[in-house]
Amino acid sequence: MEVLKSDAPLIVYVDVKSPYAFVSIKPTLELEKELGVEFDWRPLTLDIPSYLGSAEKRGGKVIRSEGRSQTAWNTIRYSYRDARRYAERQGYILKGTEKIWDTRIASIAILWVRQTARSRLSNFFEVVYPAFWRRELDVEDISVVENCLENAGVSSQGFREFESGDGRTLHDNLQKQFHAKGIYGVPTYVIGDEVYFGREHLPYLRWHLKGRVGPTPDIAYEI
Amino acid sequence: MLTVFIDFNSPASYLAFEPTLQLVKRLGTTLRWKPFRTTLQPIPEKVPNESQGQSHRRVRALARERTHIHYAKLQGIELKFPVAPSRTDLALGVLAQCSKNPENFIRKAFYAYWHNHFDLNDANIVSEIIEQCEDLGDINIAQALHSLESAQKFAENACIIDAPAYMIGEQLFIGREHLPWIEEILLST
Repeated sequence: MEVLKSDAPLIVYVDVKSPYAFVSIKPTLELEKELGVEFDWRPLTLDIPSYLGSAEKRGGKVIRSEGRSQTAWNTIRYSYRDARRYAERQGYILKGTEKIWDTRIASIAILWVRQTARSRLSNFFEVVYPAFWRRELDVEDISVVENCLENAGVSSQGFREFESGDGRTLHDNLQKQFHAKGIYGVPTYVIGDEVYFGREHLPYLRWHLKGRVGPTPDIAYEI
Repeated sequence: MLTVFIDFNSPASYLAFEPTLQLVKRLGTTLRWKPFRTTLQPIPEKVPNESQGQSHRRVRALARERTHIHYAKLQGIELKFPVAPSRTDLALGVLAQCSKNPENFIRKAFYAYWHNHFDLNDANIVSEIIEQCEDLGDINIAQALHSLESAQKFAENACIIDAPAYMIGEQLFIGREHLPWIEEILLST
């Protein structure tokens, strides 16, 4: 799988542990429905400590922090507040995470759903994302992710083998390609050879996918 | 009342300027422009044995630049990034001192930075821009840096972390992508 290539009109990269990806899911699914097409949803598993440092909270208090400047903390706090208010508008709860999660299993599950039950992908997102952001889901536990698959109407039979075999290989090969192709975060949208980071580009993407009719829209978080 | 914090060397601030003006003019809202000195973000060079974090920061900076250029074109702006970003403190200090409408000053300062790559920390250049503008109120360029420091403290106390930042009531929004929500708030008040 090549990161910029797809038969679909749009590639969408997401990661469950990103609050910005969380609030992008609903409007992106709505755009997909509005256009009557299938986007190519793929995982991008963020390596947050490599660029934002790491931290762990317990009971709302920071108990460990490495490589995080005050500016980084302020940015993170604003990002969460910002994502939270938009999540609330979408009818969701967004609680700040208490640690940086390893979301590789959930990412590989996206690849699994793509391959085995594409029509259930929106169900899978709806089962995983809101529960994760209510702090009700341990996405590092493969049996929890298997349950999510079943709850989304996707068979989990064979997922364990896929997760440790072909799925893992596919996932890891994807991750290696991102930076070289100008991709670094989620949500990222790929249309043709253009790469856009953030759901603020949805108005532009809609305009593009609808045949570029009328004035080109500016960036905006649609509400 | 909508308060907007900007920095002249911030491409996002430049691209937010006209859309913000259009919005407040359409709604008849009172608008206050305030300075905020952002952190300079030059594009990191690729280094041998680049770490994942270094690579991330470089790719992100390049992508942001591409995105700004893309959307600038939609506004009819040919955005030319300077080789290295520079501080614009003196011009920001003048903005902090403006007691009259600073729109013209802001427009000219953005143009000077982004199209002519002028040094907005140079007193001669900033004075020239001031002279081209109508009455801005009592401007004392010798005190401009001091004015900026006070304004910067005010902004930091208000939890501003980047520009453009929009303050409206209790809400703080960073980036013009929030204009739909800001419009909704303005319409409801």
